[in-house]
Amino acid sequence: MKSIRFHVLALVTSIGLVASPVHAQEATTAKVSVNGMVCSFCAQSIEKRLSAMPETGPLYINLSNKVVAVQPKAGKTLDMDKLRHEIKEAGYEVTAVEMVPKTVAELRAEYRAKK
Amino acid sequence: MPSAALVAGLVSATAYALPMGSQGTWMIMGDFTRDGQEIAANHAVTRQDAFGGALGRWEEEPHSGAPHSHALRRDFAAITYTRQLHRWNLPHAQANLWLVGMAGAVRPRERSGDEAMGSLALLADYETTRVYAAGGLKGMRAEGNIRHDTAYARAGFSFYEVEYEETQPWLILEAKRERYGNATKDSVMPMLRFINRRYFLELGGNRDGAMLNLMLVY
Repeated sequence: MKSIRFHVLALVTSIGLVASPVHAQEATTAKVSVNGMVCSFCAQSIEKRLSAMPETGPLYINLSNKVVAVQPKAGKTLDMDKLRHEIKEAGYEVTAVEMVPKTVAELRAEYRAKK
Repeated sequence: MPSAALVAGLVSATAYALPMGSQGTWMIMGDFTRDGQEIAANHAVTRQDAFGGALGRWEEEPHSGAPHSHALRRDFAAITYTRQLHRWNLPHAQANLWLVGMAGAVRPRERSGDEAMGSLALLADYETTRVYAAGGLKGMRAEGNIRHDTAYARAGFSFYEVEYEETQPWLILEAKRERYGNATKDSVMPMLRFINRRYFLELGGNRDGAMLNLMLVY
């Protein structure tokens, strides 16, 4: 009896675990504030350098708000120091970096809605 | 007959807009007017230094006392060096100070042989997403009686801000004073500028003719 109860319990627990919603990994995007970014001809150097990083996924540059948003590729992690370094090497100054629980597409839509 | 030698050289209007790209990039430029044409390329070896070359030709009015009644034509070839002396990255603007020099040879059509040529230019610019201002001084000397100095100022605005991926149009006005030997020429030219990421195009015109300026960075 105990054995049957144990197995039923184990079975129910297993089903419970399987049936639990699988929480998708929250998207986290690095939102970088950059000084000096005023035109796309100049800022394309930032896009070029960041796109060359193997962990870089979707990328968004907003000149009006002086923001560069970088989303890592699936399974990859962004190195904040490396991000800062690449933007500095492109000739610009990073003033702040924060991780936001949004995708680049969501950030883009947000900025467009504010216009 | 003087032999060709390396001295600083002519700086074209293309250098006025943005002399170089970021480290590791190539910049290709073309500048075309009725009186002068130039193609140039440079490679940014560091964040602040770019080396390259330029080929071109220009025409100037005969100097007083010169035995020619037609325009004097010069062809030139030069190596170039561009140095970003300083960059200011401000919250809503960018400003730069540049030094541009060339070393080359010029071939005046009215006499045979190549002559050593040299020039140096000091350029400054300030830009926001809507406003642009720039100025520069350039002096060029060559063997024989070739002497060409230029001072210019540019100011303009963009009609509207755009997304990074969109083409941004600008209206720019340039005032320039050029001195060829003893002759001085003042000109004003309005131009339209279009920027889209790594493409840069300027179209201008005044009573002296049209101007086309192209730049590509990659």
